[in-house]
Amino acid sequence: MSVKVNRRKFLKMLGWGGAGTALTGCDLPTTVTLEEGKEEVVSYLMPEEYAIPGIGVWYASTCTQCEAGCGLHGRVREGRVLKVEGNPDSPVNHGKSCMMGQSTVQSHYNPDRITSPMMRKGSTLQSVSWDEAMSALTSKIGPDSGVKGDRVGMITGTVSGHQAVIIDELLAQVGSKNHYVHEVINTSVWSSVCRDMLGDEMPKLNYDKAGVILSFGADFLGTWISPVHNMGEYAKFRKGARGSLIQVEPKMTLTGGNADLWIPAKPGTEGALALGIANFIIERGWNAVDVPSSIAKTLNQYTLTAVEKVTGVPVNKIKRIASMLTERAPSLVIAGASTENHENGYDAVASVMLLNLIMGNIGKTIEASAKFPEKALRAKQGNTKDLLLLAKALKDNKLDVLFTYNTNPAFTAPAVLQVSEGLSSVGFKVAFSMFPDETTLQADLVLPIHSGMEDWGTHVPAYQPDTSSVLSLQQPLMEPIHKETRGFGDIMLSMLKLRNKNFGDFPDYYSYLQTAVANMPADVTGSVEGASKDIWSNVLQKGIVKAKASANALTPKLVDMKFKVKHDNSGYPMHLVPSARLGLWDGRHANIPWLQEFPDQIAKVVWGSWAELHPKKASELGVKNGDYVRVTSASGSIEAQVYIHKGIHPDAVSVPMGQGHDEFGRYAKGRGVNPLKILNPLMERRTGELATHATRVKVTNAHKHEKLVHLGGSETQVGRKFVKTISVDQLRRTEGEA
Amino acid sequence: MSFKNILENFSYYRRDAEDGGHHEYDHRFGMTIDLDICTGCNSCSTACYAENNLAVVGKERFEKGQAMHWMRVERYWDNIEGDYAEEGAKFLPMLCQNCGAATCEPVCPVAATYHTPDGLNAQVYNRCIGSRYCSNNCPFRVRYFNFWSYYEDSWPEPLNMQLNPDLSVRDKGVMEKCTFCIQRIRTAKDKAQREERVMADGDVVTACAQACPTGAIVFGDTMDPDSRVSKLWEKHQVHRGPFLQKKDKTNEEIRGYRIFDELNVDPSILYLERVRDTEV
Repeated sequence: MSVKVNRRKFLKMLGWGGAGTALTGCDLPTTVTLEEGKEEVVSYLMPEEYAIPGIGVWYASTCTQCEAGCGLHGRVREGRVLKVEGNPDSPVNHGKSCMMGQSTVQSHYNPDRITSPMMRKGSTLQSVSWDEAMSALTSKIGPDSGVKGDRVGMITGTVSGHQAVIIDELLAQVGSKNHYVHEVINTSVWSSVCRDMLGDEMPKLNYDKAGVILSFGADFLGTWISPVHNMGEYAKFRKGARGSLIQVEPKMTLTGGNADLWIPAKPGTEGALALGIANFIIERGWNAVDVPSSIAKTLNQYTLTAVEKVTGVPVNKIKRIASMLTERAPSLVIAGASTENHENGYDAVASVMLLNLIMGNIGKTIEASAKFPEKALRAKQGNTKDLLLLAKALKDNKLDVLFTYNTNPAFTAPAVLQVSEGLSSVGFKVAFSMFPDETTLQADLVLPIHSGMEDWGTHVPAYQPDTSSVLSLQQPLMEPIHKETRGFGDIMLSMLKLRNKNFGDFPDYYSYLQTAVANMPADVTGSVEGASKDIWSNVLQKGIVKAKASANALTPKLVDMKFKVKHDNSGYPMHLVPSARLGLWDGRHANIPWLQEFPDQIAKVVWGSWAELHPKKASELGVKNGDYVRVTSASGSIEAQVYIHKGIHPDAVSVPMGQGHDEFGRYAKGRGVNPLKILNPLMERRTGELATHATRVKVTNAHKHEKLVHLGGSETQVGRKFVKTISVDQLRRTEGEA
Repeated sequence: MSFKNILENFSYYRRDAEDGGHHEYDHRFGMTIDLDICTGCNSCSTACYAENNLAVVGKERFEKGQAMHWMRVERYWDNIEGDYAEEGAKFLPMLCQNCGAATCEPVCPVAATYHTPDGLNAQVYNRCIGSRYCSNNCPFRVRYFNFWSYYEDSWPEPLNMQLNPDLSVRDKGVMEKCTFCIQRIRTAKDKAQREERVMADGDVVTACAQACPTGAIVFGDTMDPDSRVSKLWEKHQVHRGPFLQKKDKTNEEIRGYRIFDELNVDPSILYLERVRDTEV
């Protein structure tokens, strides 16, 4: 090393600053040097001995399409990556993948990628050289620019691993605390409740051990926490003793489509239903865990008839759910977006969690998760609270410099927050981006970054599904397609070098990462076999590191619940459900042609937006499939074609997220509408999250019709038996309990 | 096949379809799809697009029914008496059933679609003249015709770099369909031959079966009695051959069934019935 750095500082730069590292200092590999990192950069132009033309070689990497952190294997032939499949060694996805994972290649080869740096000159973005871009960056935010402190901000999607370490490091150097982490599809409220009631923000859920799963809007098969992992566990849950799934939600999600019983409660009243079930269970004395009399007293008011009145769920159904939870114990009760994202979301989720506590599920179907030993590398999970904070900072003119990476707030923020307008008040906006999306095109400096298949990285999934925690390595599957793109880590590193000379030892992010992995403390390397100097190649081969995790038990605790249902008669009688779909997600995949062409799992509509309505509501409005309706909130209105089905509450209208891009390339631009744009700026009371499902709307007939383009000529099997359905009884008689 | 040949080998040619008819099979690839754990997530379909160079046709052509989804997931709403779809939706992954007695084969005027010794309905692209008789005759609607030269706008550069070089990109005027990932079968056969062994169960995994997050799709050789797929067929008392199978079941309640079995086309895909807990 050219600059003397003490060991502790050195380790901290590599992300290993936490507990445990000091103790293992003597075990650290001494054979690995930074210089060695430089030497081992092998170009793919030099064929490896096993690279035979015509034969595909599979390399391990990590999927970056959502935050779940699934391990991937990419098939590389003649220097091109052709297809990805799951990495069987990853405890997250066990070799499986979802439609978004499979589509990684179309993100990577997308024809609308940004291929050179761009700088705002006058009112337009013009292509510039990297030299020019980097000197602009240096002069605007370098040590001599005078820019420092909280007037610098950075907004990203969920980040983890060494990406999180270098972001932290850069912001620390600048002296800013403004790291906004934003995801529209998140589980923030659930995590807050889990933290307060269980002492673990992201507890491990054992779907396979549950006799019955009661889900209040948690679309765990589609968009909740770790979908591919959940689907694998769901398969185990259905096999053998075959557990039953009850889903309560205003609009049928993919999970709802697979439920044994799907119930629409009146939107925003899910918490009352949970408390009603709890009250009935306690009344009957079915609870497995004693309930303090103070809580039992609060629950008293949630009598069956009162709950039926509030939620619209009939008394017999409530009774049935309560007895199912009892008969088929242990159960698992979870809550997702349509329960979390109301103004009373926290209390609703707490009411749901109460069921787990009184039914004694803690320690059975809900367990403490394995935490990755190094705190700095753990996932920083995105939320919508940070979006609101950013909107406020923009409004108050608090930012001079804003970095954006892996998130698109100009698209996901409700129009009323005026994020797009607010961005113009920021003096210097730097976008690290692959695509010309709404936020990127507003930037002053656009730095084109490598795709997930060209870049290095490490990822620590927020949801750790195993008893040991996992770090997943992302390695490039091929040489960059475009000459003028750079790795996010590389750019960050060059910015860090301006302020912290110690980083000067690393020629690139690759050598930084290699050094970091080779210097992994012993409590992290857990599963990696072989001599310490082989760690790097072992990790490259496997793609994952299983780290030992401390086994904490959950600490169940009841919280004070003040569940109130909001009544609103302000002329907006309907509830807007901005639903999420596995595929386009929050809109980040709208530029992938496959994902546009694949039908939505429930509505089966392709290439556009639609509004889901219940047949009752549709006949009230006099609309049929394909007719346009206007959905109006206090903050704006959108128009979409109607799709009518019985998987939605009559008081709800659901418009899926994902479409309605003003920019974002040829496949996304100008297609459909974005329901997030008309949300009212309502907040979840306890967590400060954006209450995305609380907006009230009115729906009117727009008197316009077009053919609804969707898969399938017929909505029913017309008496033919393609999909046959049998009862569990019959299954037990023939296949028995395994 | 001369008349003399038929007379001389009459006992061979008059074999029943259960015994392979006039085919001399090396393998008979088949599949099982468990509709109880299929979640309808579309993973299989995406994997198929990635593996088989399927063209994206766009909204207008999708509307006309020209989408090229070899593996599509259908969704049905049925028997909804009340106000709500309380039993959820019904999902059905539908792909070419690679029938043993396929209705598409005999109608092809140029024998572009024929039965391979592996039990597949193969489609010879450069023999196909685009009469579309086969798709007309397919009860499953799983044959897809190239009405246009999709390659012209489906893979704008550099999207074309993703195309799988193990199989061709089809041009206008050609019929195409699920091949049970024939390129993967070929690769596995070659590999087994190089290693001087017979193909084992699990050597070939189709793209859809590989991706399926719940493992609802099982693929294998139904002639290999030890394969996972054979065992499932046996367990569910469905066997190869075109005749109505119901009578063969010792217990009519056993889940396995084949779609359109009544047409006697001998589909190679065994579906397992969806289960719903009616006690809930």
